[in-house]
Amino acid sequence: MIYDIRHVTTYGYESPVSFARCTLRLEPRSGAGQRLLSHHVEIRPRTAERHSRRDFFGIFTESLVIDTPHRNLRIDSRSRVAVDRRAPGRTAPSPAWDEVRDEALAVTSLGPASPVSYVFASALVPVSSPVTAYAALSFPPGVGVLVGAVDLMHRIRSEFKYDPKATVISTPLREVFEKRHGVCQDFAHVMIAGLRGLGLPAAYVSGYLRTIPPPGRERLQGADATHAWVSLWCGDELGWIGFDPTNDLLVENDHIILGVGRDFADVSPVDGIIVGSPKQKLGVAVDVVVVE
Amino acid sequence: MVDSNGQEASPGGGNRPRPAQRRAAQWVRDYARLPGIPDEYIGEDGPRAVWTRFFDAFASLSPADIERRFGAADRHLKEAGVTYRAPGESADRHWALSHLPLLIGESDWQQLSSGIAQRAQLLEMVLRDLYGEGKLIADGAIPAAAIAGSNEYLRQVCGIRPPGGRYLSLYAADVGRGPDGRWWVLGDRTQAPSGAGYALENRLVLSRAFASLYKSMNVERVAPFFEAFRDGLRGSADRDEPRIGVLTPGSFSETYFEHATLARYLGFLLVEGDDLAVSGGRVHIRTVAGLKRLDVLLRRVDSNSLDPLELDASSHLGVPGLIDVLRKDGVVVANMPGSGVLEARALLGFLPSLCRRLLGENLMMPHIATWWCGQKAAREAVLSRLDDVAIEGAYGRGVPGFESDGPVLASELSRADRERLVAAIEERGIDFVGQELVRLSTTPVWDQGRIVPRPFVLRVFAAATPQGWTIMPGGFCRIAEQLDARAVSMGGGARAADVWVVSDKAVSTHTLLPGTDTVRIRRIAGVLPSRAADNLFWLGRYLERAEATLRLVRTLGTQQRDPGKGSSSLQHAAERIQRMLVTWGAVTQLSRSQPAKVAAEALQAEERFGSCLSLVRSAQRTATSLRERLSPDAWQVITEMTARLAEEVEDDDGIVSAAELTLQELASFAGLAQENMNRAAGWRFLEMGRRAERAINTTRFARQFAYDEATDEDLDVLLTLVDCQITYRSRYLVAPSLAPVRDLAVLDPYNPRSVAFQVQALTEHIASLPALRESGLIERPQRLAVAVQSMLATAEAGALDTKTLFALEQDLLNLADAIGLRYFPHGPNASRPEKLTGLA
Repeated sequence: MIYDIRHVTTYGYESPVSFARCTLRLEPRSGAGQRLLSHHVEIRPRTAERHSRRDFFGIFTESLVIDTPHRNLRIDSRSRVAVDRRAPGRTAPSPAWDEVRDEALAVTSLGPASPVSYVFASALVPVSSPVTAYAALSFPPGVGVLVGAVDLMHRIRSEFKYDPKATVISTPLREVFEKRHGVCQDFAHVMIAGLRGLGLPAAYVSGYLRTIPPPGRERLQGADATHAWVSLWCGDELGWIGFDPTNDLLVENDHIILGVGRDFADVSPVDGIIVGSPKQKLGVAVDVVVVE
Repeated sequence: MVDSNGQEASPGGGNRPRPAQRRAAQWVRDYARLPGIPDEYIGEDGPRAVWTRFFDAFASLSPADIERRFGAADRHLKEAGVTYRAPGESADRHWALSHLPLLIGESDWQQLSSGIAQRAQLLEMVLRDLYGEGKLIADGAIPAAAIAGSNEYLRQVCGIRPPGGRYLSLYAADVGRGPDGRWWVLGDRTQAPSGAGYALENRLVLSRAFASLYKSMNVERVAPFFEAFRDGLRGSADRDEPRIGVLTPGSFSETYFEHATLARYLGFLLVEGDDLAVSGGRVHIRTVAGLKRLDVLLRRVDSNSLDPLELDASSHLGVPGLIDVLRKDGVVVANMPGSGVLEARALLGFLPSLCRRLLGENLMMPHIATWWCGQKAAREAVLSRLDDVAIEGAYGRGVPGFESDGPVLASELSRADRERLVAAIEERGIDFVGQELVRLSTTPVWDQGRIVPRPFVLRVFAAATPQGWTIMPGGFCRIAEQLDARAVSMGGGARAADVWVVSDKAVSTHTLLPGTDTVRIRRIAGVLPSRAADNLFWLGRYLERAEATLRLVRTLGTQQRDPGKGSSSLQHAAERIQRMLVTWGAVTQLSRSQPAKVAAEALQAEERFGSCLSLVRSAQRTATSLRERLSPDAWQVITEMTARLAEEVEDDDGIVSAAELTLQELASFAGLAQENMNRAAGWRFLEMGRRAERAINTTRFARQFAYDEATDEDLDVLLTLVDCQITYRSRYLVAPSLAPVRDLAVLDPYNPRSVAFQVQALTEHIASLPALRESGLIERPQRLAVAVQSMLATAEAGALDTKTLFALEQDLLNLADAIGLRYFPHGPNASRPEKLTGLA
């Protein structure tokens, strides 16, 4: 499957902004079942500095500085990506979850793909006993890690309410968990917190969903914005597998990966600091078109 | 009460008075060591030699003399404003100093310091590998999880070569003496160790209070350590005369006093994140002369708060883009961000084998036995002897799931909590360590004429230099009031003590004053950060406004105290004064129904922002942020003035004399500034604040009391308010008359209290400050100042009616604002960086 993705981010400011320093993580990665064919980002107004590098998590990161006063910032990103990914069945055999937990700790690497980097609390995902206890219901002793995670994903999908107005980016996980509502990002964070509480390595994935569903299938939640889901390490043999708790789906060809990190803070597509207007209006438009 | 001569007898002198021997003997008899716990003073074989030497000399001081010296030490600490702030508190606490030093003999110290130097080197090499090649993890010498669990392991700095070539510039270890008599490491401080500045202050105080005792004991000096530290930081920069800043979280930080002390002592700039800006791959400091490059940052801000762009996005303490500057080798940050990862207790158990591997030698100093529960064998060992260990978090402060900040002792838990703890360790052992419970040695503490043993923790400091690690001879000692020494922190009601490393032979005396042949002559001291300029300007304004308000209060109080001459025009003048006090926020409109209370309220009401007390408090608060720039004398004047003004006064007489006393103190502060402050930009901003405020207030006085129909009493009040009674009388020999009084108060450029004089001074100051424009066009503050000056130079007294004076007042207010906008661009009016928001 080949996709054309257009991702436009706009900021409108009430008063002129004299200086902006931004970080962009907008280039879909190659690997994990997908290949980047082309990518281009256009920025208005003109940038004074612009340079790029790969960060620790392997994400292509652009840093830019704008030092002319402006009231609007527009970041227009276009990518073409080929996706070919197969997920195991929902009930496929897998190693017992507690074995996976112990196996993860024995890995001798701190790299971005090492499960060890994803078993601890991170900036936006605290590990807390209520969330761990919630997750533990899906993981009786000895149950397969895949089966347990599918069950947890299914429970989040059925017990939490999808509500785009309920949360903002700063809503703490505790509140999301207590009120049982939120958006894709919140569901991903809750599932990650539960898995990590049990000692299982869980990563946060940002990306896109195909906008128009194949004939006869329902339109998925979160298709017009950027999407987020969970990647769980299921032992050395199975490796990392994607779980989308917002849609109760194992990740296959409808998902396009942008970046993988410990939580949203590691992969936020557009991030930055401005000097000037405290009041701002953000607009995000995402369009995912199937090319072939 | 004091000994007749007030002198200390020389120790070891032949004719020691008998009472001294008796006292010393009594101390030893009364000193009850705690059973089973080693003591610094009295060992297995009786008292140790260094301590005996000390107490012999100490006993030769009379009890009264000892108390007097202790009192002097406490007073000095208070006057110097040595403070710290306990977490969660908003007020500063004064420093509690244990009056007896901790003594450490030379050979004992040698062992301790070589152990610390070895450890510092080992930790430096571990950091180099962790953030570089990563061999230690790949080979399994350190379990990956023992690192990954620390939020101080910064993935953002992986692969960056630390500018300046090293991770650790300052390292500290908390140590205590274990039951076997050896020094043990209790914990490592690799992030941004605090306490060195307090150690310095403790030393200054105690060595002054017991000058000859200190000299006779051959105590190793600490100054060479600070010198080596400073030279090490200088050497890490890539130019000859580097600009170095101490990065502080600000005056709300627990240890702000220490940051200011270190900045002043080492000659560094004290800076906050807002003072710094990143451009062109470098870090710059905002100064009154524009952006200036900063070469080295000694940080007292934790790693995660350093850069909101790449690290904790909610931090307001850091500098956006700082990590990227590190990537470009543009600034040295000491210690390197991410160094704090080695504070994790999970790592302690792996250090002996790491030492053999990296240094090829055995670890010299033992540390407190620690088992990381992330490993099966260790976890089982801890669970099997749960009552014999303390449970701690593996990475940071506190035990996950338990509220206390310190260790959890299973033996003190309820049954339910104990089960919860065991379950948590079994589930996520990676988050916990068990540490052996040890009783640390005790040291003598003075307690109302006796000495008693108390446990302590000693923090030892190591500084990196091109020649290797230098250890501060001494350190920061905290003494516990309770018997478990590991709970010691300054917040917990503990006392600090000076630490004397006692040499057998005379020591070289050393200060930080450099030798003349090594220093390049420079007449202006460094750059002036905009924030400091802003604070100095406002310090000047607050003090001057306090002075003007005090003059109003004094005039009012004098009239009330000496009634009788109660003519109606005098009453009228008094009402005008009251009206001004209302306008200035010193009293409420309501209070005017009770004229007798107006003066008292304007003097002391805490709840009135314009009262004299509130104004001097504002001045003190502003001065707090300028600690490194004010002389101790100047600071003391402000502190005393504020304290005294808060004392309640009884009657009109008391009000008048309180106002007069405070006016004298303000004059002495002004005198100190005039005589002692370097005539660099900093002095100019203090002066400008004072001049601008005085010009504004004098114009207001003139408008109120020299209006076209002003009475003799009005003019008399004006002459008093602007302190010109004598000048006027010597010049005119007649009763006050309108035009001459106006001329004297507003236009006379030779009268140091006239408006014209202030404006002339302002114009001169502005002209001598650096210009930012390259176009050569005149800047706004200068344009406004010159305009007002020429208006005053050409005006005639007869034409200075109320309307003209009001216009003049507006011009002066605009001038003050223009100065703020030009020189303090990130002041309260400026826009702060905002975070881009939204789920994009």
